Amino acid sequence: MLISVRQLARVYQMGEHVVRALAGVDLDIQAGEFISIVGASGSGKSTLMHLLGCLDRATSGTYELDGRPVMAMSDRELALVRNKHIGFVFQTFNLINRTSALDNVGIPLFYGRQARVREKAMASLERVGLANRYKHKPSEMSGGERQRVAIARAIVNNPTVIFADEPTGNLDTRTGEQILEIFHDLHQSGVTIVMVTHEMSVAAQARRLVHMTDGLIDADREVTTELRRELVQAGVLGATRVQNEQHLETEGTPS
Amino acid sequence: MFAFRLILASLRGLQTNLMRSLLATLGVIIGVCAVVSAMSILAGAEREIGKRFESMGADQIMIVSGSSGRGHRQARVNALTPEDADTIRDQCPLIRNTAAEFTSAAQIKYLQRNTNAAVLATTDAYKKINDYDVAFGRFISREDNRAARKVCVLGHKIANKLFGEVTPIGFRVKIKGQGFTVIGVMEKKGFLGFREVDSQVMVPLETGMKRLFGVRFVTMITAQATGQEKLEAAIQQVKRTLRGEHKIRAGTDDDFSIFTQEQAKERVADVTKIFEVVLYSIAGISLLVGGIGIMNIMLVSVTERTREIGVRIAVGARRIDIAAQFLIEAAVISMIGGVLGVVVGVAFADLLEKITRVLKTFTPPSAIVYALVMAGCVGIVSGLYPALRASRLNPVEALRYE
Repeated sequence: MLISVRQLARVYQMGEHVVRALAGVDLDIQAGEFISIVGASGSGKSTLMHLLGCLDRATSGTYELDGRPVMAMSDRELALVRNKHIGFVFQTFNLINRTSALDNVGIPLFYGRQARVREKAMASLERVGLANRYKHKPSEMSGGERQRVAIARAIVNNPTVIFADEPTGNLDTRTGEQILEIFHDLHQSGVTIVMVTHEMSVAAQARRLVHMTDGLIDADREVTTELRRELVQAGVLGATRVQNEQHLETEGTPS
Repeated sequence: MFAFRLILASLRGLQTNLMRSLLATLGVIIGVCAVVSAMSILAGAEREIGKRFESMGADQIMIVSGSSGRGHRQARVNALTPEDADTIRDQCPLIRNTAAEFTSAAQIKYLQRNTNAAVLATTDAYKKINDYDVAFGRFISREDNRAARKVCVLGHKIANKLFGEVTPIGFRVKIKGQGFTVIGVMEKKGFLGFREVDSQVMVPLETGMKRLFGVRFVTMITAQATGQEKLEAAIQQVKRTLRGEHKIRAGTDDDFSIFTQEQAKERVADVTKIFEVVLYSIAGISLLVGGIGIMNIMLVSVTERTREIGVRIAVGARRIDIAAQFLIEAAVISMIGGVLGVVVGVAFADLLEKITRVLKTFTPPSAIVYALVMAGCVGIVSGLYPALRASRLNPVEALRYE
């Protein structure tokens, strides 16, 4: 088991209020899975992703990553885990604007004190089909290209798992699909992918779908043809598609 | 290698905000400029004073009228006579030679050219004691002095001023309206002690005291000891002799004071110490202000780059990596400011020398090293708090920061 979580909880103290962002979650993810976590905003899906991604510490519960207890790790060890085993892709890309695509991709290698940074970063850019744009700065790129640079940065250290937080949220449908295509390819090559989204049409691209409400998992299903049909019938899957396409026609073709 | 890459990364960070980075360095530039120019002025002055002391001769004893023994001067300030000089020379075995002198100012005239000059009335010993000789003609002789002859020897500069290229031996000049024959022109010397001798006119002691100024007492007696190591003993001999000669009873103060090159040096060193403290305080304050400027800019930079910091932590930067990045940025700003400050400071000191024409400046290499080290320290100290703040950011919140 790659990820194994038991009764994971995250409680925030907001002034006098206690917010239970995550109320005790059990979850197992095997190596090589492609899993979506869906839910309304405030359902705790982002909190869960931050905990799984070792960016935040849980208030209680247990978390084993590749058999190692994450809760007991020091800040330094967590940094090392994030550097070597985890890749992040964000909704807003989060690239550093003043440096080139190549330099952005090389950042994890830099903090991993690795040699041959340029070479490895270039290979990573090639994997997302942006080798010819390596010199460009993020501000000179389209949204889709920026997200591909971000993916290249996430995979440059050959991580075991990639966490993607609304990776298509700032992209139009067509570009979003291209990005999802890259995730599929990565999944094919054996990378574990955990994707957080509130769009059912995007979530349904994964092989497994976890639904969260109020800090708890209330559904955990394999994405089968049957489930897809159900979603279309419920008007969730088809409706989003149609909506998006209409939106595109009125707005014109985005860059 | 990692540190090198980190420095490169910080340089790039500074480059994107060039204007702001330059403004941040401005405080340090001014601070370091102040340190360097202050040090240059001080070192230049010290060197210049040092040179003049060297020209005084370490084996010389200066005797002037009046006591400085208990912080007050006695009423009878005129006490030294030409005879005292002879007595000291004849009765103190540790004194090789003495020269009495009376100094004043007078108008000196040749045809239509006239100028005000320092007049030094002295004896033939003056030349030997000060190792200061004529370039043309001859110096004042014992005979000139005994007969109170109206002859004079001109300093290098004043000879030039009155006669130009002509060698004026045998020419007649008027000092205070009285006719004097020029018998010699001195070599170029510059300073002897704190007196610029190239511009002075020398006459025989007797002539000066009796015929020119009408005085009975001399300004100073310079005594040359037989060796530098016997200076202390020589001073004691001079004291005893003069007290006997002036009939001073035991328990009362001397009516003269004695000082040496060494003592004069110490006194001047005390004065330069005060200047040093004042100048360094000013320089220190401007560096402090520079440091506050850097801290301010760094805090702005940390806030502005909150998201970037979040991303860096997310991809595996350790807290210490983040702190190091900002610390290096602060140090780089400061060091650049330091280098520019040194350049501006040296140029400023140079300019000061050219404008004032009095100040002599000299930038010792140690001043440059000191200024750069100070700048580096200021950068690190002022970058510490912003760097710590950056490294303590919560990555989840930082990534959400708008």
